[in-house]
Amino acid sequence: MNDDYLWDKSGEPDPQIQQLEEILGTLRYQSKPLNLPRRRNYFPLLAIAATVVMALLTGGLWLQLQSPDASISPVAISQPTNPRINPPLSVANKPPAKRNVIVRNNRDRREREEALAAKQQLILALRVASEKLNTAYRRTQTPTQIKNQHKAG
Amino acid sequence: MATANMLLMNPLAPAAAELTTEAPPVEVGLVKAALEGDRDGFGRLYGLYAPLVHGILLARVPRAEVDDLVQDIFLHAFKKLHTLRDSAAFGPWIAMIARNRAIDFHRRTRATVEITDELRGSDKQQSKAAEIMELIRSLPDAYRETLVLRLVEGMTGPEIAERTGLTAASVRVNLHRGMKLLREKLGTTEGL
Repeated sequence: MNDDYLWDKSGEPDPQIQQLEEILGTLRYQSKPLNLPRRRNYFPLLAIAATVVMALLTGGLWLQLQSPDASISPVAISQPTNPRINPPLSVANKPPAKRNVIVRNNRDRREREEALAAKQQLILALRVASEKLNTAYRRTQTPTQIKNQHKAG
Repeated sequence: MATANMLLMNPLAPAAAELTTEAPPVEVGLVKAALEGDRDGFGRLYGLYAPLVHGILLARVPRAEVDDLVQDIFLHAFKKLHTLRDSAAFGPWIAMIARNRAIDFHRRTRATVEITDELRGSDKQQSKAAEIMELIRSLPDAYRETLVLRLVEGMTGPEIAERTGLTAASVRVNLHRGMKLLREKLGTTEGL
């Protein structure tokens, strides 16, 4: 038996080994392309989520600025007709105190309601944004299916 | 015998040290490139090591399952490449994955699903090849793996040693003893 031929195919070929090589060579590995999983591109999902969040926040801020409360701003307060500033009391033109209290209470209540509404809008916007991000995250975490698992078990 | 086989197949044998003293293996660069996201780098590793994995599987599982398992093993390796500590040991690492996957296959698969279909080859040559493969599969683990890599995949002894991380001496012994056993078995059957 020629061990050199078996070892590194050098030396005198062994006819039996050559015959085995010829027969078993039919089972040799045939090159096939490897199908690697495609790399996920997270950028579009993140960009969409960020855009939605920005749009919601901007919308909420804009709504808040457009509300009647906007008149209660430093500029408005500086105006002489601003009801928050108590006019100087005079004996001839003294507004009834009771009426002032009612107007103030009404205004306070309206402000509270509007603030509450703005808060609800903001919470809703954040909730929607959070949901979008969760959905995007879940999509990115989907496990890759293992091929031919049915054959293995 | 089983213990001796395990020793001969130990991928932590000194062969790895022998390899590292020579020029840095091409695998080191390819593994590094693959870890940095170079898919072509991993594709080249696949090209280099697919025959090794194919041979290891062919020595253990039915031929019909081998191609799919080769793909699965490389996909697994692609995902777990970051766990490979020594880039130069890619060969022994993927060889071990292949051996473990073959063991898993037999655990999961019922004994009835065997290689009966293999015996019905498309032609006489393939039928003969399947018969010889049966004889090789009946040999001890270490022998059948090296014999398949040598006779089926066409690797030389030094190549087998380099790819699997076994020592050259171990591979030589495995080839010699395995071939002796195979000749005996072939002698008891019809012969070639």
